[in-house]
Amino acid sequence: MTSTASVGDLVSQPYRYGFVTDIETEKIAKGLDEDVVRLISAKKHEPAFLLNFRLRAYAQWLQMEEPDWAALGHGPIDYQEMIYYAAPKQQSKKASLDEVDPKLLETFDKLGIPLSEQKRLSNVAVDAVFDSVSIATTYREKLAEHGVIFCSISEAVKDYPDLIERYLGTVVPSNDNFFAALNSAVFSDGSFVFIPKGVCCPMELSTYFRINSGDTGQFERTLIVAEEAASVSYLEGCTAPMFDTNQLHAAVVELVALDDANIKYSTVQNWYAGDEKGVGGIYNFVTKRGQCRGARSHISWTQVETGSAITWKYPSCVLQGVDSSGEFYSVALTNNLQQADTGTKMIHVAPGTRSTIISKGISAGRSSNSYRGLVQIGPKAVGARNYSQCDSMLIGDTAAANTFPYLRSQQPDASIEHEASTCRISEDQLFYLQSRGIGLEESVSMMVSGFCRDVFNQLPMEFAAEADKLLALKLEGSVG
Amino acid sequence: MPTILESLDLDCSLFHSYSLLFPVIRPDATILLEIRNLHAKVGDQPILKGVDLTLRAGEIHAVMGRNGSGKSTLSKLLAGHPAYTVTAGTVHYKGEDLLTLAPEERARAGVFLGFQYPVEIPGVSNLEFLRVATNSRRVAQGVEELDTFAFEDLVRERLKVVQMDPAFLERSVNEGFSGGEKKRNEILQMALLEPLVAILDETDSGLDIDALRIVSAGVNQLATPDNCILLITHYQRLLDEITPDFVHVMAAGRILRTGGKELALELERRGYDWIDEGLESSDQVDSIAPALEVV
Amino acid sequence: MSPGSASAVWLESVLRVFEPSLPAAVGATAGDLAQSRTAARDHLRRLGLPPTRQEAWRFTSLAPLIAVPPRVLPMPEQAFEPNHPPASKALRLYWGGDRDPLAGVDLPEGLSRLETSVQDALLGTVLQTAGTTDSWLARFNAALVGQVLALRVRGRVALPLELVSDCGQETGVRPLRLLLLLEEDASLELLQVHRASDTSLTTVVVEAQLAPRSRLRHGVLAQGAGASCLLAHLAFSQSPASELDLTTVVGGWGLVRLEPAISQVMGAAATRLRGLQVARDRQIADLHSLVRFEGPEGQLDQLQKAVVDDAGRSIFHGAVQVPQAAQRTSASQLSRNLLLCDRARVDAIPQLEIVADDVRCTHGATVTRLQQEELFYLRSRGLGSDQAARLLLEGFCDEILASLPESASSWDPAAALLRKALPR
Repeated sequence: MTSTASVGDLVSQPYRYGFVTDIETEKIAKGLDEDVVRLISAKKHEPAFLLNFRLRAYAQWLQMEEPDWAALGHGPIDYQEMIYYAAPKQQSKKASLDEVDPKLLETFDKLGIPLSEQKRLSNVAVDAVFDSVSIATTYREKLAEHGVIFCSISEAVKDYPDLIERYLGTVVPSNDNFFAALNSAVFSDGSFVFIPKGVCCPMELSTYFRINSGDTGQFERTLIVAEEAASVSYLEGCTAPMFDTNQLHAAVVELVALDDANIKYSTVQNWYAGDEKGVGGIYNFVTKRGQCRGARSHISWTQVETGSAITWKYPSCVLQGVDSSGEFYSVALTNNLQQADTGTKMIHVAPGTRSTIISKGISAGRSSNSYRGLVQIGPKAVGARNYSQCDSMLIGDTAAANTFPYLRSQQPDASIEHEASTCRISEDQLFYLQSRGIGLEESVSMMVSGFCRDVFNQLPMEFAAEADKLLALKLEGSVG
Repeated sequence: MPTILESLDLDCSLFHSYSLLFPVIRPDATILLEIRNLHAKVGDQPILKGVDLTLRAGEIHAVMGRNGSGKSTLSKLLAGHPAYTVTAGTVHYKGEDLLTLAPEERARAGVFLGFQYPVEIPGVSNLEFLRVATNSRRVAQGVEELDTFAFEDLVRERLKVVQMDPAFLERSVNEGFSGGEKKRNEILQMALLEPLVAILDETDSGLDIDALRIVSAGVNQLATPDNCILLITHYQRLLDEITPDFVHVMAAGRILRTGGKELALELERRGYDWIDEGLESSDQVDSIAPALEVV
Repeated sequence: MSPGSASAVWLESVLRVFEPSLPAAVGATAGDLAQSRTAARDHLRRLGLPPTRQEAWRFTSLAPLIAVPPRVLPMPEQAFEPNHPPASKALRLYWGGDRDPLAGVDLPEGLSRLETSVQDALLGTVLQTAGTTDSWLARFNAALVGQVLALRVRGRVALPLELVSDCGQETGVRPLRLLLLLEEDASLELLQVHRASDTSLTTVVVEAQLAPRSRLRHGVLAQGAGASCLLAHLAFSQSPASELDLTTVVGGWGLVRLEPAISQVMGAAATRLRGLQVARDRQIADLHSLVRFEGPEGQLDQLQKAVVDDAGRSIFHGAVQVPQAAQRTSASQLSRNLLLCDRARVDAIPQLEIVADDVRCTHGATVTRLQQEELFYLRSRGLGSDQAARLLLEGFCDEILASLPESASSWDPAAALLRKALPR
């Protein structure tokens, strides 16, 4: 029947966040060498330990090779053709939002992230990062009353150097992989969250990343520490303008959960994906890892990945604490010539650890969507349990859906269960919905969001509807 | 436009000396659905070979026939299933051409198909589905859309029509429903969409006697002087519960006989074979593989 | 590979030992065989043993091979199996060394030697179709093998065939190669038996071409011991409406790797794979399967099981490829692993690559120990815990053993695997 073709048409729609903000930007010369690393560090007035951290990472990076094992293809990336630091021209970060360049506020307004006192979301604190720097963080004072630290990582380096020195690079070591090493050498900004012992963060925390410059790589670094019995829910969002060149985004996110702590990390990723011919778009090479260091600690990753030309990310949990648990919920939608190779690693080290993986991949156009995951149960992880479910939905017969789970167990008193299936939107289901008066477009988006429901249910309430809308948007277009 | 009697003349009397000319119950009632000389195929296989049928407001019709006679095809075709291609003939709904409308446009306009095998749609919430469907019909009717709260009130009230547990609203569309629960969910949708033409395809199949009574009582409750109902069925037992004004017998893609409710009883007694006697050899029922009946 | 490394030295000496062609006992060795030998030897000299950096060898090191003396493994004096008399309804052939397995044998109706010209034309084509010509196992075998057992199957062969290679107590390397051509509507039941009990290496490549509507029921029963190694590459090309039922059962080998590679050349065929591998002590048991559908409406039903004890290691890598042409493919794959000791390790990597949208593909994998509730249930009925565990273990294995060809019963596979491989 013809509706298969029209379903394919549905998934193409223009990118809504492709505008460029015209603002004076301070950039350093392109290219990367040791001096650039020193320059970035100097611009941020960093203490010696951090400069050393960067230099060590740079030296390690020089010895490493780009990974090639993922089911991805892209031309060579010229690391000398990139600018490693770009910031909108303004003096140091403003104490008050009123002093922030209105163009920036407007930009975030346009992206649906109002920052000004009058318009900002009442129950979400936002850190807004524009190119290489954080321009504003809302609700800092209110959070401080609870002892919660939420600020840009640059500010944290100045204000809380002890915490940064104690935790930075301890979850993702600087030589973890090629892109993590690059990030460790040149990272510019990102968010820092610290929830002290026993505190349940009173509001959602959120960072919004915006790439504006066409020739700048974005290398943000996020660190979240939840002390004993602390809990926090954090969300990141990302967009970028449309350029016909590819920009590199190589971020590192580190999470640390101590005894009984609980961290929920959600991502709605909508970087520019390139056009329907595969020109332009973000290369999203990201290392995200959480350590459940304490007993009964819990880390949950939820991601909705709809953008980027290439996505390469595996948010992981290292379950070191007894009875700790990790979760990974993912929706990845690829269209046109997008490529995604994403999944998770659940490393069970301690006894009684549990993990759950729910992955939903939707491939349309000529895109390629791969789930790649590792579940590893070490010899000491007595009583560990994992359950994984990876479902793929194919739209049209030119998209690829791959599943590459790696399962390893070294503990007899443990169990791993993995299930995977593939499906498409059946014509009978579409007809059923249509025969009840629901249009083709809405039927498809209903089915896709039904397919993703298990994952959307994990998003913070404020963003679940947002993600649903984003997906519907991606599926919106002309019928027939 | 030919009258119902003229069409009967053309259709039945050709082959049968015994041709029951029956009274139109309310000759002045609005014609809701008018099918003329309808031919249709699935793939290259012709299934319908000249169906004529007229449904007026306030009438209940039953179409009977064995597997492969084309009755399920007729029902799906009326709902706009893309697997069927109309090769000749017309279908008018309230005087407008029905065949040019997309499935959802037919539903919004008031044509409803109760499926023989309602599909399961994992992940899609039944409540949400019912709300979107109801609102799309309301928009088409020019009535204001219902917000979630108003809709919940409405749906709770309509649940009573089929004595359904509200817990079903929280589940995914038809997922894990028993046969009876699925059929009740279909009638619930009918109660919400308030169609003018309701086609119920084998609504009795897979129902035990209690469920059959509940579903039938629901249908009887929903039948009004303003709408019409087309029951597609194999068996008399549904017609014991819902009394039809007319019974049509289909074979080899045509309606071969039309009568009152007594015709159904006669079929029950004598089987379908005597209907076949009037068929030309090339039209023998066997020549149509039941498998082609797309379900 | 560095030229001076132990593995390079070992590989070079093996290649040298097999340099002089073995007598062409069956068919001609001229032409294609000789050519592919030269090509394979060059290939190996260039690449050496596969590095664990390669994805296909990430979890399996071939280091244990180096212990195998680089010599031609002779046919053991006692080639017959007094303990395992052949089932009366099977034809048993002994395979290995320079002996012609068909010498003095009356082949049953439908089974004949493949003509030399056909053999030359066919050799290597199934590997090509399956896309595995460059598999290290296939290259290694091609570099050593001097003769090919080549059979044509016409019509239904009533007598099951049994092909036995027993290395006995001998040490050294034994290359084996089988070429099977199943004509249209042909059917054959074949049991391939490999045995070894000392530091030996059996390398075997099977190529089977299944014409339309042909049926092959193929069992591989491989019982090793000590430091014995088995490397088997099993390639099948299936035409539409053909049926392949392949059951592999391996246990007791110091190192065993099986590579079933199936290509449904135009789809519309049925493939059923069953596998059981047992590893204990420091044994490594590896199965890498590849099933590729080149046309629509193909079917795959795969169940691979592993039992791992002591410091044993089991690897399962199962790739299923469904390209765009393979609409309406139905493929299911399940990997079930029993892990019995905390020094043991299981790696399971099921892998689905799908482009066609109208397909039904599922895979699943589990790694667990014996079900405690089941154990408890049996014990509550009076069984000792060892007894209960053994019963459950047998049940786990039986599902696979039962699908071996019937003639396998003369080898008592359950006893051999479970009592020898897992004496508990």
